[in-house]
Amino acid sequence: MKRKYLGVIILAAILMMNIVFTQYMVHQYYYENYENVLIFGGLNIVLFPLAVFAYKKTINMRA
Amino acid sequence: MSDKNNKIPFNEDNYTHNIERNNERKLDRRGFMKTLVGAAGVFAVSSLPWGAVAAKELMGLGEKEYPHKKITEVSNLPIGDAVEFKFPGDHDDAILIRLSENKYVAYQNACTHLRCPVFWVKEQGEMICPCHHGKFDVETGAPTAGPPRRPLPEIQVKVENGSIYAVRVKRYEA
Ligand code: FES
Repeated sequence: MKRKYLGVIILAAILMMNIVFTQYMVHQYYYENYENVLIFGGLNIVLFPLAVFAYKKTINMRA
Repeated sequence: MSDKNNKIPFNEDNYTHNIERNNERKLDRRGFMKTLVGAAGVFAVSSLPWGAVAAKELMGLGEKEYPHKKITEVSNLPIGDAVEFKFPGDHDDAILIRLSENKYVAYQNACTHLRCPVFWVKEQGEMICPCHHGKFDVETGAPTAGPPRRPLPEIQVKVENGSIYAVRVKRYEA
């Protein structure tokens, strides 16, 4: 695997997790498990700085 | 290619001299990754309202008693018929069904799939969602067919002096 695609792969994985967490969050909301809503909402928010970090770390990688 | 790049001094007005196509910079890996990061940001921001509402519910505002609301008179509702009403808020559609002489059930009738209004089909004894043919059990509100996976939230009702009142929305038993 070419190293220069590492960042793209990581970011795509983060986005995938975002989708999964959002889905959980909404469902848990309607099930009225509000603690879980907070947990998944929190995870979603944590993923953003993580994405920024991954971007900065990998953007200058050369092939 | 011509020898325009071989001239000395090199005729360069910006760093994009080696770009062959319009918008090439917009299609590169860096731009794509920025879009991905931006999308993660959108997810993060859009989680906030859900978290806020959930926190509000957790802080004890959830189990509030709504003022009892009169739905209809018993005499207006023959056995097997249904009437729609709003509870607890003015925009929360709900349905009351009289199953027998003394048995009433009420649910918030926004389908748990995509919130279409569920209606009561007397002949089939089922609640049906018109949008994707979801079906719900009338006794419990549990989904029996189609896309919905969660039961309809049940509303407690009470009969007093020939009138039917909505008391409150039952919570799911987890
Ligand atoms: S909205 Fe009711 S089945 Fe899809």
